[in-house]
Amino acid sequence: MSDIAISIRGVTQRFGEEGSEGSVLALDNVSLDIRRGEFVCLLGPSGCGKSTLLNIVGGLFKPTEGSCTVDGRLVDGAPHPDKIAFVFQESTLFPWYTVIENFHIALKFQGIPRTEWDDRAMAALRAVGMASFARHYPEQLSVGMRQRVNMARGICVGTDILLMDEPFAALDEQTRMVLGEDLSQLLAATGKTIVFVTHSLAEAVFLSDRIAVMTARPGKIKTIIDVAEQHPRSPDFMLETRFSELRNECYALLRDEIRATVAAQRDPQFAGA
Amino acid sequence: MTVQTLPQAQSGPMRASFARRAIGSAFVLRISLIVAIFVALEIYGRMWADPAFMRPPTAIFDAFLTQILPEPKVIEALWMCVIEIAAAYALSIMFGVIVGLVVGASRFSRGAFFPIVLLLYAIPQVSLLPLVILMFGLGPAAKIAFGFSHGVFPIIVNVVAGMRDVKELHLRAARSMGASRADTVRHVILPHMVPSLFTGLRLGMTMTLLGVILAELYVSQGGVGYYTRVFAESYSPAPLFALIGCLAVIAILFNELVRIAENSLTPGKRRTRALKSSVKE
Repeated sequence: MSDIAISIRGVTQRFGEEGSEGSVLALDNVSLDIRRGEFVCLLGPSGCGKSTLLNIVGGLFKPTEGSCTVDGRLVDGAPHPDKIAFVFQESTLFPWYTVIENFHIALKFQGIPRTEWDDRAMAALRAVGMASFARHYPEQLSVGMRQRVNMARGICVGTDILLMDEPFAALDEQTRMVLGEDLSQLLAATGKTIVFVTHSLAEAVFLSDRIAVMTARPGKIKTIIDVAEQHPRSPDFMLETRFSELRNECYALLRDEIRATVAAQRDPQFAGA
Repeated sequence: MTVQTLPQAQSGPMRASFARRAIGSAFVLRISLIVAIFVALEIYGRMWADPAFMRPPTAIFDAFLTQILPEPKVIEALWMCVIEIAAAYALSIMFGVIVGLVVGASRFSRGAFFPIVLLLYAIPQVSLLPLVILMFGLGPAAKIAFGFSHGVFPIIVNVVAGMRDVKELHLRAARSMGASRADTVRHVILPHMVPSLFTGLRLGMTMTLLGVILAELYVSQGGVGYYTRVFAESYSPAPLFALIGCLAVIAILFNELVRIAENSLTPGKRRTRALKSSVKE
C-alpha cells in the first residue's frame, strides 16, 4: 500500500449547465494528496467549495471533471462506507433513535455483524466520555454532547478515513476547544486519516498537520501550510508564539479571499452553497 | 411529580397547600366540570325542559337500560355501525398510506399529484352523499364508502407532509454510511414521518366517523340512523340521547385506540418505558 490515502486530481465542480444562468463554478482544478494518518484542514472563506470538495472525496457528489482516489480506488460519486466515515456540521444523529441505536444503525448500514454492534458502540462512546448516555435520545443531550456523540459515531465504524465538515461550527468557543483536544487525542490513538473543513483559523492551526488554504470561489488551493507539532496536542500549544505566527500567516493568506467572497455574496447568485 | 410539589407543601400551611393542589390538578378540575354539567342538565331537565325534546341524564341512562340494551335490533344496529367504521377506517389507512407514500416519494410526484389530492380534499363531500347512496345502495357498503372517502384524505395529506420535511442532512448522512434505498426508507423516512402519520390517523378517524354517521343518518334501513329517526319522530328524546351517547362512546373508543397506538409507536414517547434497541438486522 502506498503512503497516499487520498489523491485528488484536477477536480472541477460546476453546479448547473456551463454557460447557463445560475451556473456556478465551485471548484476549479483542485489537486491534493493526503498521506495516511495525516490531519489535513481545508481552510477557506465560506462558500469557497471546501465542503463540496469533502463531499466529492466522500463520494456524495460526482465531480464535473477530474478524479479522486481513496486507497487507489476511484471514488466516482458513490460512497465507500467501508473506507470513509463522515461527520457533518450539525449533529446528524437520528432523533427517533437513542444514542446507542444511532450507533447500531450506522454499523448496520455498513454491514457489520450484529454481534459486534454493542461492543463497538460502547467503546466509541467511552472514548468520548459519553457511555452513560447510551440510552438517551439525542434531544435530551446538549448541543455539545450531541456533537461529541456524533463524532464518536463517525469513529465507531472503524474506517481509516474520517471526513469532518465543520463539525464544531454550531458549538460555543469553549466546547469547541475541548472537543478539539479530544479529537487530537483520538487521532494520536487511532492513527486515522482526517480531512477537516473549517473556517476557524485557531481550529485549523491547533488540529492540522497541514492546512490547505483555499481561495474564494471558484475554489483553488492557494497554499499549503505545514504545522510541525506532534499529536496529541495540549492547549499549551495555543500559547506558543509559533501558534500565533501560523494563525497570522493563515489570516494574511485568507484576508483577500474573504473580501472577494463578501463582494461576490452581494450578488444573490453566490449566496449559500 | 411528588418531588416537585414536596418543597411547596412544606413551605406553606398544610391545609392551604392541599386545597391549592386539589384545585390546581387538571384532572380534578376536569372531573368537577363534567359533574357540574351533568348536575346542571339534570336540574334543567327536571324543572323546566319540555319532555318532548329533552330529558334529564338519569332518564336517558334509564332509557339506555330499558330501551336500548334489551333491544337486540338496536344493539345489532350499533354493532353494524362499529363494523362499518372499522372497515372504512381500515380502507382509509391502507389507501391513505399507500397513496401518501407514492405521492410523497419525490419532489416530482408531489408536484404532479399533490394538488389533485388537495383539490379532492376541498370538495364538501356531503353534496355527493345522494350519489354515493345511488351507487352503493342502502346497505353498509354506502356507509363504508362514505366513511372511507372522508377518512382517506387527511391521512394522504399528512403522510405526504411527513415525507416532505425529511432533513437533507439526515439523508446524506445515511447515504455516506452506506445505507441502501430500502434502508433509508425504513430507518430515516418512515420514522421521520411517524408523528405526522399519527396526526393524519387521528384526523382520519374523526372524519371516518363523521362520514359513516352522516351516511347512516341520511338513509338506513334498520341501522343506527333508522332508530335515531324513529326516536326523534316519536318525540322520545331519552332513547334518542342514549343512542347518541352510544355513538359518542364508540367514537371515543376508536380515538383511544389510535392514541394508544401512537404512544407505543412514536419514538419520543417510548422514552419512559424500558428501552430495547429498535434497530433490527
